[in-house]
Amino acid sequence: MPQLDPEFFVSQLFWLVVTFSFLLLFLWKVSLPRIGSVLEKRENKINNDIETAKQLQIEAEKIQDQIDQKLHNSKEQNISLIKNSTVNLQNKASEELSKLDNELNKKIEKSAKVIENNKKKSLKQIHEQIHEITKLTLSKLSSVQINDQEIEESVANAQSGVRH
Amino acid sequence: MSSTGEKHSPLEQFEIVPYIHIDSKGIDISFTNSSLAMTITVAVITLFLTFSVNTRSIVPSRLQLLSELSYNFIVQLLKDTVGAEGRKYFPFVFTIFMFVLIGNMVGMVPYSFTFTSHIIVTFALAAIVFIGVTVLGFVKHGLRFFSFFVIPGLPWYMLPLLIPIEVISYLSRPISLSVRLFANMLAGHTLLKVFAGFVVSLGLAGFLPLAFIVALTGLEILIAFLQAYVFAILTCLYINDALHLH
Repeated sequence: MPQLDPEFFVSQLFWLVVTFSFLLLFLWKVSLPRIGSVLEKRENKINNDIETAKQLQIEAEKIQDQIDQKLHNSKEQNISLIKNSTVNLQNKASEELSKLDNELNKKIEKSAKVIENNKKKSLKQIHEQIHEITKLTLSKLSSVQINDQEIEESVANAQSGVRH
Repeated sequence: MSSTGEKHSPLEQFEIVPYIHIDSKGIDISFTNSSLAMTITVAVITLFLTFSVNTRSIVPSRLQLLSELSYNFIVQLLKDTVGAEGRKYFPFVFTIFMFVLIGNMVGMVPYSFTFTSHIIVTFALAAIVFIGVTVLGFVKHGLRFFSFFVIPGLPWYMLPLLIPIEVISYLSRPISLSVRLFANMLAGHTLLKVFAGFVVSLGLAGFLPLAFIVALTGLEILIAFLQAYVFAILTCLYINDALHLH
């Protein structure tokens, strides 16, 4: 078996030590740090990306909250606006209504006064005419001279008799 | 030449042929086919690991992914067996793993040489591990390292029996480590050679051993990886023993 022939033992050991030490040093100082740095770079990149994604998510949640808040606020504003304008309109309407009522009442009062006046005037006229007619009738039918005073009284008596 | 078939032994492939004769003060350190295989192995590893990560891209190319996978494979192996402190010994374990793995793979190339099939090489590798681990144990624990041979919780009268057993098992580590790799490589390559001889001598019926060789080559590649893995994981376990004793 050639393996047990010690002729080349020393040579094999020598070259093993040379090649193995070279490989060990080269990998230790050059290759492995390179691969390690690549792996580290990738890990950092992944971690950074995850971090960024988390921050973005938090920001998005904040914005969502703001939107919700604003929506809520504007809803409340809407409700209060509608309430206010309803109240205002109701107030105005009732004001207008009371104004109109007042005017109408005044007009009614005026007309009532006019009517009253007219009524009084007509009554007076009727009264005077009755007075005239009575005077004329009496002077024609009889020669009795009745003064105005008496006529007045009797007319008043007659009228009150009619009324009762 | 039919006579060459008898001359050609299946062990001929393990013979060492010096290419350049070098003598240093009477010591023969010739550059042989074994040295060439080691050099090729080292060249393949360094070139591959250097150029595959040249671009250092965040999204790796296939070759870069291969380097990263082997890197992470050994990192994980160390983490599982030794723990976080094992990180310091990562370059050594990685070098051992790659050296044995690529050495085995280079040996699988037809007409090449398998330096891991030489007991002197595997024993030297195992000795590096053994001596390194023993020194590590003494540096870490001082004379308390000897308590490694005392199994805790054992009655005192068993100690005279068990301490020698523990010492022998400890001292046989480099032998088992080196012989395992050496024997696997030797057996596989010898078997391949024997069946290759059948292909020629059986003539037309030679396709049967040929088919067997094809299957065996696949198995050998698996073994080449497996033995490198075993070598690396045992190195990790020895480091763990030296760091934590029990």
